[in-house]
Amino acid sequence: MRMMITMNDVDKYKVTKKDRRRVAVRYNFMACNLFNYESQMGPAVAWSMAPVLRKIYKDDDEYKAAVNNHFNYYNSTTVMSSMILGATLAMEERDGIQAKDAVQSLKTSLMGPLAGVGDTLVWVLWPTIMGSISGYMALQGNPLGAIVWLIANIAFWFLKLKLFDVGYTSGTKLITSLGNKLTIFTEAASIMGLSVVGGLIATVVKISAPVKFQFGKVTLNLQTGIFDKIMPALLPALLTFLIFKLLGNKKWTPTRVILLVIAISLVGTFLGIFKA
Amino acid sequence: MSGIQLLQDILIIILAGYMTIDQNGLVIMSWFPVIVGTIAGIIMGDLTTALTIAGTFQLMMLGVAALGGASAPNYGLATIIGVFIATRTGTGIKSAIAVGLPVGLLAIQLEVVARIIANFLAHKMQSDNNNSQWKKMNLEAWLGPILFSLQTALPAILIVFFGPEVVTFILKVVPTWVTDGLTVAGGMLPVVGIGMLLHYMPVKKFLPYIIVGFVLAAYLNVGVLGIALIGFAGAYWYFFSESKKVSEPVTGATSDDEDDDYDE
Repeated sequence: MRMMITMNDVDKYKVTKKDRRRVAVRYNFMACNLFNYESQMGPAVAWSMAPVLRKIYKDDDEYKAAVNNHFNYYNSTTVMSSMILGATLAMEERDGIQAKDAVQSLKTSLMGPLAGVGDTLVWVLWPTIMGSISGYMALQGNPLGAIVWLIANIAFWFLKLKLFDVGYTSGTKLITSLGNKLTIFTEAASIMGLSVVGGLIATVVKISAPVKFQFGKVTLNLQTGIFDKIMPALLPALLTFLIFKLLGNKKWTPTRVILLVIAISLVGTFLGIFKA
Repeated sequence: MSGIQLLQDILIIILAGYMTIDQNGLVIMSWFPVIVGTIAGIIMGDLTTALTIAGTFQLMMLGVAALGGASAPNYGLATIIGVFIATRTGTGIKSAIAVGLPVGLLAIQLEVVARIIANFLAHKMQSDNNNSQWKKMNLEAWLGPILFSLQTALPAILIVFFGPEVVTFILKVVPTWVTDGLTVAGGMLPVVGIGMLLHYMPVKKFLPYIIVGFVLAAYLNVGVLGIALIGFAGAYWYFFSESKKVSEPVTGATSDDEDDDYDE
């Protein structure tokens, strides 16, 4: 009900093709150039969306909240990100700040699986094929393979810009067909997102303690002998729970938590508990 | 040093620095050895030697599709440095590998440092947003590419001006527990981002789904796509059963105030 009142705003901004191109170019340049361990690609997403979001959100507080939303943890293949960000832009254009949670859930649920597809194509398949062909050609003194690869990559870059529009139009379609079920859609997307996050905890967070204890003739490896017996990925799960709790405490800012993790890593490696 | 040599030095450093920016964003030449090697060969004026080195490193790199892996050396930088050393000293491919690979390893250590510094930059940008300093926020983002370019430009500067001894010296002086510790930290740190993310999502309401995803990945080694499909199945079921409740006229009035119970 609340949604209906704000939705018939008269001065709603219409995103132009130029706006979309601008976000796509900014994102496909910045991508990992602001990459950090906490929010990964988050700042790059916020930075690329910022100019167009300013046009959508005329209210300063709403704009702040919308930009902050994009500063959150985000990581996917840039090709796929073009589509995801296109879709989120369409949602924000239509529903404004009401779409905030839906945007977060959509990004979270799509970034992982699409990265799985994208990384395989972009970072494994394509470089392996082009690399082996052009590598052998180079060994024979022929630069042609390298040149073809370079030109193909330029063509790919323009394809990424195009994919942003694909995401934008299908995103608009998605929302119009959803109508007033956006809240339920958000929750459903969160279900998918949280499943992915559960998987991320077990795979992305890498911590193991392969330290060996010697009891007379018996050696016991802490990781394989104890932790793995209790539960696989036990340490990542415990660490995630600890960090989640710490972050809920006002005293523990993310920066402090990061410094803590670095300190633990250094001390643990010094003592031989962790190994690189 | 002749003028042309100085020009070559500068161009090699620029190429090395730009390579990382490109790899992080545009992915046009990226750090693919044959592409950067060809360019380095044109700069150094010896394409034949450059192609041999580039081809060698390219084939070396094939096995290691570094998907977020921090342990593989930066073969792109190894190629640029290799081409530079081999053509400048006339010592050929052997010295290219002997000097190039350690430099490539050094660059990976610097990547961890750059990403940690980028974290402070991200916080600065976000606090500027909160203080309505948007112009500043937009400008600060450009520090990112500059910072990351140093990851490969600094080792290149060291090599170009001081020679290969410096690299082995640096890797010798810094104790291994520091370099290893940073690598360990690199593996653990994504946890902070995930922890933050969880605070923005309805964790309490949908906790079971985190467990489902975790069990699938940890116990059954299901890939992220498989987990997402199962998550999608849950989402699909939830969406349609809840939509039905909303559209039924009898319960229509009660659905108004049930959405805020997990937001914090």
